[in-house]
Amino acid sequence: MYESITIEERNIPTVSLVNYGFLNDAESASRAKGMPYLRYIPTNVPCESSVIFDIEAGIDEVMDKIVDAIIRPLSPEERSPEQKETSKPQRIIYKGSLEEVNRHFYTHGWSDGMPVIPPTEEAVAEMLTGTDLPPDHFLGKLQSRNGKVTIEKIAVNAVMAGCLPTYMPVLIAATQNLIESEPGFNGYTTFGFSTGSWAPFWVINGPVAGQININNSSGALSPGNIANAVIGRAIGLIIKNLGGVRKGVEDMGTMGNPMKYTLVISENEKESPWEPLHVELGYKREDSTITLSFPNCYLQHIPYTSDAEGILMAIADNMPRGMRYNIIITPAHAKNLMREGYDKEKIRKYIVENKLVTAKKMVAFMGMGPVREKGSGSKSAGETGMVPLIDDPRFIRLIVAGGPGAWISHLTGGGATPGKKEIQKIELPINWDDLVARYRNIVPEYERY
Amino acid sequence: MNTYEVLSPWAEADSIPWRGISERISDLSGKKIGLLVNSKRTAEPTLKAVENRLRKKFPDASFSWFYNLKANEIAITTNKKGDFEKWLDDVDTVINAYGD
Repeated sequence: MYESITIEERNIPTVSLVNYGFLNDAESASRAKGMPYLRYIPTNVPCESSVIFDIEAGIDEVMDKIVDAIIRPLSPEERSPEQKETSKPQRIIYKGSLEEVNRHFYTHGWSDGMPVIPPTEEAVAEMLTGTDLPPDHFLGKLQSRNGKVTIEKIAVNAVMAGCLPTYMPVLIAATQNLIESEPGFNGYTTFGFSTGSWAPFWVINGPVAGQININNSSGALSPGNIANAVIGRAIGLIIKNLGGVRKGVEDMGTMGNPMKYTLVISENEKESPWEPLHVELGYKREDSTITLSFPNCYLQHIPYTSDAEGILMAIADNMPRGMRYNIIITPAHAKNLMREGYDKEKIRKYIVENKLVTAKKMVAFMGMGPVREKGSGSKSAGETGMVPLIDDPRFIRLIVAGGPGAWISHLTGGGATPGKKEIQKIELPINWDDLVARYRNIVPEYERY
Repeated sequence: MNTYEVLSPWAEADSIPWRGISERISDLSGKKIGLLVNSKRTAEPTLKAVENRLRKKFPDASFSWFYNLKANEIAITTNKKGDFEKWLDDVDTVINAYGD
């Protein structure tokens, strides 16, 4: 739709063909760009179809409409649309019981379907103690709606998700990371909305991770730790309520993804024999950072044997196909690998050299459009030999986390072009130590039975 | 029962000025029709089907194709901007496919 708008702006009439299921998305996109009466034709041509019979049947149904959209004179409204007055959202939006607040938020499309904590003045004020920035501090605009991101709006969504004030610096950094995300295919503007159901995966490094109790040990990716659970949840609400990305309207994930509820871990830097992710990416060990990628697939397996060869062969054999690869390795496996001389760089090299697929299958995956450029899906269909799955070792990210046990996990999908925006430093308020002391003992104490 | 006065989670956004679409052409006969292929797998065969049908209906129309295969990037922001603008100068209308 955006392409058609740029063409209409050059006084050339257009018509866009869209699948019926994308009508809401088409309408939202054309309104968001200020051209609400853009002409588009819904069709029954299936999404991503390569079946000519289906395509031709879908086009036969709409040929008259396509011609009509190009030659039918404009209505007065299409020529000069009357701008609807957009009222400034009220700051205080509702008053009611816990159940009524939850129903109001849910029916207005502001929640993720789970209960929310009412964002009262008092609760938001407490959340704002987690930052030195003033409530009206403007961070930027978040796509697709270009919603204005202020510290207070982050705090409101943080309260709803159940955050502690000590998570505010992380949420501010995460939101900044989204705002500054790489434009185009490799950033939030694709992975936040795409049919691929990519989920933001947040890796927190540095001292903050321990201070706010991000779990990086047993069950690091399971429910049960407030920080892991609600930081991801809050960012999901921020994407929805500040970015205006709603399921089935702007977020067109075909299957959806349970990882969109939350996907947050820290790296177990104490037990890792390697330099941590944020140091790899140019930060100091004592800095705290949050790094973003967009997997849509989670897979776990055990190594063939627990020495380097058995671990690495199993990783290469089991890794799913994607564009960016997060591999989570336990401290025990990391130490075994390091003992045999494998640092992160050498592991990446092993994977690039040993994860091979047939060239023909490379074309079939992510084969978008008739001409393929260098990169994913770059190999010619005529090739029959084995080729590396991964062009660039920098597409592989190794993270040490997880508890006792022999499992290796993969979070595979999309992410930034190497060297482009993917990491953001977490800035802490002056009274950080006092805040940490106030909230750090909020941890589950499991009763023995 | 406790009641809660709550703040809105929904962000403000600047309203985008609404613009009209461009004037249509009166007829496709004798016109050059641009077919714009995006990164989606079905875009090219879909537009091929459209072209075949239009050729039968408007035998004196001509066709010109442009491929922007950069997913989620509009052509004027890519390194093909010059080619794209030149292509636009030479067409009377554009049919764009495919979403999705």
